[in-house]
Amino acid sequence: MNSTTPDPNLSAAAAGPATPGPVIRQAPPFATAALRVFDLSLSQMLWSRRTIFLALVVGSPVALGVMFRILDAFGFAGTIRMGGAPVPGPAVFGSMIWLLYLRFLVPVLGVFYGTALIADEVDDKTITYLFVRPISRRAVLVGKYLAYVVTTVFVVLPSVVVLYLCVQPLGHGSLAEGFISLLTDLGLLGIGLAAYGALFALIGAGLKHPLVTGLVFAFGWEQLALALPGYLRKFTIAYYLQALVPHVMPAEGLGSAMQSLFRDVPSPTTSLSAIFAMTVIFLAIAGWMVEKREYILEQ
Amino acid sequence: MTGKTRYFLVGSALVFFVGLSIGLVAYYGGVPQGLFAAKTGPAELQFVPEDAAVVAYANVKQVMSSDLRQRLRQFGGPSDEGRTEIKTATGIDIEKDIDYVVAFMDKRQTGAAANSTDGLVLARGQFDQVRLEAFAREKGAAIEDYKGKRLIRPNVEEEGAGTSRERDIAVAFLDNGLVAIGGSVVIRRVIDGPGLSSKSVRDNADMMKLIADQRDASFWVVGQFEALSSQAKLPQEVTDRIPPITWFSASGRVNGGVQMMLKAETNSDEAANSLRDIVRGFVALAKMQAGNRPEAQALWPSVEMGGTGKTVSLSFGVTTQLMDLMTPKKRAPGGTPKPAAPKPPDAPQKPAK
Repeated sequence: MNSTTPDPNLSAAAAGPATPGPVIRQAPPFATAALRVFDLSLSQMLWSRRTIFLALVVGSPVALGVMFRILDAFGFAGTIRMGGAPVPGPAVFGSMIWLLYLRFLVPVLGVFYGTALIADEVDDKTITYLFVRPISRRAVLVGKYLAYVVTTVFVVLPSVVVLYLCVQPLGHGSLAEGFISLLTDLGLLGIGLAAYGALFALIGAGLKHPLVTGLVFAFGWEQLALALPGYLRKFTIAYYLQALVPHVMPAEGLGSAMQSLFRDVPSPTTSLSAIFAMTVIFLAIAGWMVEKREYILEQ
Repeated sequence: MTGKTRYFLVGSALVFFVGLSIGLVAYYGGVPQGLFAAKTGPAELQFVPEDAAVVAYANVKQVMSSDLRQRLRQFGGPSDEGRTEIKTATGIDIEKDIDYVVAFMDKRQTGAAANSTDGLVLARGQFDQVRLEAFAREKGAAIEDYKGKRLIRPNVEEEGAGTSRERDIAVAFLDNGLVAIGGSVVIRRVIDGPGLSSKSVRDNADMMKLIADQRDASFWVVGQFEALSSQAKLPQEVTDRIPPITWFSASGRVNGGVQMMLKAETNSDEAANSLRDIVRGFVALAKMQAGNRPEAQALWPSVEMGGTGKTVSLSFGVTTQLMDLMTPKKRAPGGTPKPAAPKPPDAPQKPAK
């Protein structure tokens, strides 16, 4: 008998302790994976250079509001005038929500952050490291999307509240009077950020130059579609979002005049349902695209 | 999540919830004014009852010292002699001693005096109380003490002297430099009024909102339109056709000339649209009637109509140049314009030697 060959007749006990079998790691569930990616991406996103731009953009209306407040406190009452008459604080706040936040900030943040969710990883050539992890690609996208929503919401919404406290009392407006409108504004800014983020995440996941495409969509297509009569406006997020705004649309320029002329306001239920559906659909398509697409990194 | 991120999120959430809490407290606590906002209107509003129908204010000092006032004097008003007479008798120089006045119209329904309207004028300035009381005594007025305040009432013993309203007029010194002139019942109510349990017009959110808009004005009047129209005794045919106006305000800012702003608030957007149409029509009619008159040419560019929702506003400015144009030229007694004085003849030249 060959001394090197182990004797199969030896009892198991005499043979020594059994070596453990190979560990079969299971991929974490979708939610856990997405939350893990969210956790990692949140810090990255919050302390990136892009957030400096976000802070400047969001800080400008707040700085403006603080300036109006200081001028009012120093006796320059009626600083903001229209047609010779001082404009009260609530009207100023409403106009800022319309013009600064809804029409500019929310789409811009959606474009700059949403398109970068996947595109930045591709440009930095780090997407490979993300996709080799034993988590679904869809979870990566969802995790990054959640990080975007949290980042923008936690920067934009407090700025709106600070702006409200500064501007609403101007011209002896009332904090009490505008409180319900403020809650509505906060809600619709949140869902606007989510909806635009989902749309531009889809554009970022699927197209080659997502930033340009996103800007053209937000400031070209949407403005045009809203100004024209007919059904085209239903293919914009702004159509549904603007239906939820509690403030009067300010009249500034030909574009606003045309939009108000052909304005056809859907009900709040329709608007909310449409925005929610669009968010889910865009995210689903973006997730599918990320799963199926092969991202070729440029050398 | 790094520590820095965690601190940022916590800080951001804190700002958000603190701000919302302030708004929530304001909403449920019924705080009518914004946080850190200065008190609206003159301090004498504390004497105006909560249900005052109309409240008015005039910065007498500013108006009297303005260029506008100097130009308006040529249209009439208290002469210098009258002013001196009042000053000699009462010690009050109308143009310098009165800082501002606050007036209100109080619509009360009390028993036999149903729908009667009482009012009060509160004047803040420099008053010689002793001299005023001496003047009143000279004229036979009765001076009494009511809860520590001096109340001057005209002589009520003469039967048939003046109407019952005139007999009821009184003057009271509410404070150092504050005089109230009006119905004695209202004055007594005002003296009884200030206290923790009583309310003033500052508790009337609708009225205070109107007053708050007049912050910069030199003079203003705000109130319920119904009170104004009932005092104006407009014909039924006119009142039936006016859109339902709930609140009105009129204010002027004296700055060289005067910038006027008239506002009306209706009970619905449709009524406001109707009112805007009416006002637009009147303005167009006035323009047509005025034609090419130079004062009209100077006035029209400043006429602006505005307002959104339930509010209609009309603003216009009367400049000093416009007042110059409106000043009537002096005429000769015969009604014809004075002929120009003939030029004096040239002095004859001395003949050369």
